[in-house]
Amino acid sequence: MASETTNTSDLADTLGKLIRRPEFGTLIGTVVVYIFFASLGGAVFLGAPGWSAFLTMAAEVGIIALPVGLLMIAGELDISVGAVVPAAALTTALVSGHYDMPTWYGVFAGLAVGVCVGFVNGQLVTRTSIPSLIITIGTMFGTMGLTLGFTVMIAGSTGVFMTPDPSAKALLGSSINFMFRATIFWWLGFAGLIYFFLHVSPWGNWIFALGGDRESARNAGIPVARTTIGLYMLSGFAAAFVGVSQVLTFGSAQVAAGQAFIFNSIMCVVIGGVLLTGGAGSVIGIVLGTLTFAIVNQGIFFSGIDPNYGSIIIGALLLIAVMSNDSFRNLALSYATKKKAG
Amino acid sequence: MNLTKTLTTAAIAALMATGAVAQDIAVIAGSVEDAFMDKIKKGVDDATHMVEANGGTVQYLRTQNYENFGPDLVTLINQAVAQGVDGIAIPVWVPDAQIPALQAAAEQGIKIMQYNSGLPVKDDISAINYFGSDEYEAGFGGGKYLAEQGAKHILCHIQVPGAINLEERCKGVTDGATEAGAKVTVLSTPANLDGDVTGTAEALKAEFIGDDTIDAMVSCADFGAAAGANAVEQTGLDIMVSAFDFSPASLERISAGTQKMAIDQQPYLQGFLATSMLFANLKFGTEISTDPVLTGPAIIDASNVDAVKAGAELGAR
Repeated sequence: MASETTNTSDLADTLGKLIRRPEFGTLIGTVVVYIFFASLGGAVFLGAPGWSAFLTMAAEVGIIALPVGLLMIAGELDISVGAVVPAAALTTALVSGHYDMPTWYGVFAGLAVGVCVGFVNGQLVTRTSIPSLIITIGTMFGTMGLTLGFTVMIAGSTGVFMTPDPSAKALLGSSINFMFRATIFWWLGFAGLIYFFLHVSPWGNWIFALGGDRESARNAGIPVARTTIGLYMLSGFAAAFVGVSQVLTFGSAQVAAGQAFIFNSIMCVVIGGVLLTGGAGSVIGIVLGTLTFAIVNQGIFFSGIDPNYGSIIIGALLLIAVMSNDSFRNLALSYATKKKAG
Repeated sequence: MNLTKTLTTAAIAALMATGAVAQDIAVIAGSVEDAFMDKIKKGVDDATHMVEANGGTVQYLRTQNYENFGPDLVTLINQAVAQGVDGIAIPVWVPDAQIPALQAAAEQGIKIMQYNSGLPVKDDISAINYFGSDEYEAGFGGGKYLAEQGAKHILCHIQVPGAINLEERCKGVTDGATEAGAKVTVLSTPANLDGDVTGTAEALKAEFIGDDTIDAMVSCADFGAAAGANAVEQTGLDIMVSAFDFSPASLERISAGTQKMAIDQQPYLQGFLATSMLFANLKFGTEISTDPVLTGPAIIDASNVDAVKAGAELGAR
């Protein structure tokens, strides 16, 4: 009898823990959105075309959303990712296409561009008191200008073409069954790594502490500047990775691409339950938020809903997600308090 | 002393003499960030040789960006007027802002030549002629071409919902294709997919799978062709991919056969003709009797892609 009581309370405890997890609201959102579009989209959406459509989109936004999410947890923003995507893509295309060097040189150069922009962002954010929103808008325009200027100067046009060598294309730009892009697996890999980084390794707590209270974090002996710079370099790297994988997939890079990633990545992170003011959030939440965002974005085209109204659904989804995240957080807090009181 | 005086007088006289016979024109164009404008500039540069050989000058004025476009254009017009030019070659992108400024310039006896944009307001600014394409005509030509190549159901992709010039393009595609017996469906993708090749490719894939009668697509954006080609590769369907405007990458696709065609408006001709014909009108009194002069649509497909590539190498295509 005693054990039975324990079992029930264990179950209640597990359920309570599950509901109290910050990702729970996001998970419900993902499931609801999937069921909604599955009921409208039917077999095609349920099958490979549907899954590949939203997973491929989620992978690209998601690779950027993960480090952007880490930055937001640490209380910072990174707008410059929108400029890093085309900058890295064009660097790769210029090195390996225009100058005809081996593809790997181009890939390396493209990724290096992203890391450099991240390093500059990090230095500026930690050495000045200017908000990171403003700094990264500045570096975004700077990067855009440099990309445009150099591309036109070197290639004489704003689009550059390249033929990637097979090994690089296989690793970064290939598709399984023509539909499932390699980036999906890279995304899941990155998510695993960043999960370890944020939730298992000791560095994770540093990031939460940064977003909670920078001064106290510094006083507690956390290397605030180094951590922040590292996070910016990571988001620069991730954006560059997406740019490089795009150029290997499509064989061309354009100056005017990537702007979409700025709002899309922030949206995924917010839908995923990361607090805009920093200090709270989780990798699973970001991954689920990205999935939700991608399902809505692509589901519209499978559902027969007039795509003209698509933006309404995306906007509404964002607001509902933030509201439900807030209410789940409150619920979780009050649940815990009640338990304590009881 | 006397010699200096004589020389100065002679120099002033010479200057005034050139001022009286020289035809100075200003060519106003769009943002320095816009690659399309570089092709127009190539045309203007080439025409400048002819102008200078005949004793005239060309000033090429561009806005920094498109953020404050209307007022920026008016500033450039007033700048040209203040410098005492005899003629202005200009596209009309923002009629409300530009028409009053251009009318004021015309009242001072400045001749206006119009190119690239704003054909419907040509008479309001008393332009001599118009060199450019017409979005509707370009779409009409593209739709007709696809239908003649055997398309039965064409998807017309708009990347920025509500952009009037893009709607005009798809309206043209619809009419051109309908006339040749094909059907057209217009697809507007949300603005947050603009420039996102992957997101657009997946959206197009959904449309291709959702309606298996679609056998051709034309995108209003060059990147839409990259997305379309990817969607075709993913689904393995037999769909003709095409787009308005083009890039080196789309020329490669046309060579490789993964893109059927691109619709070009030949910006080089617009810059070259607007500059040279404005000058010739001022200097020699010539006038082209064809009015307006359409520089597009010019269809780029497998039959002429090599010539276009050669032109692109030289910065003119």
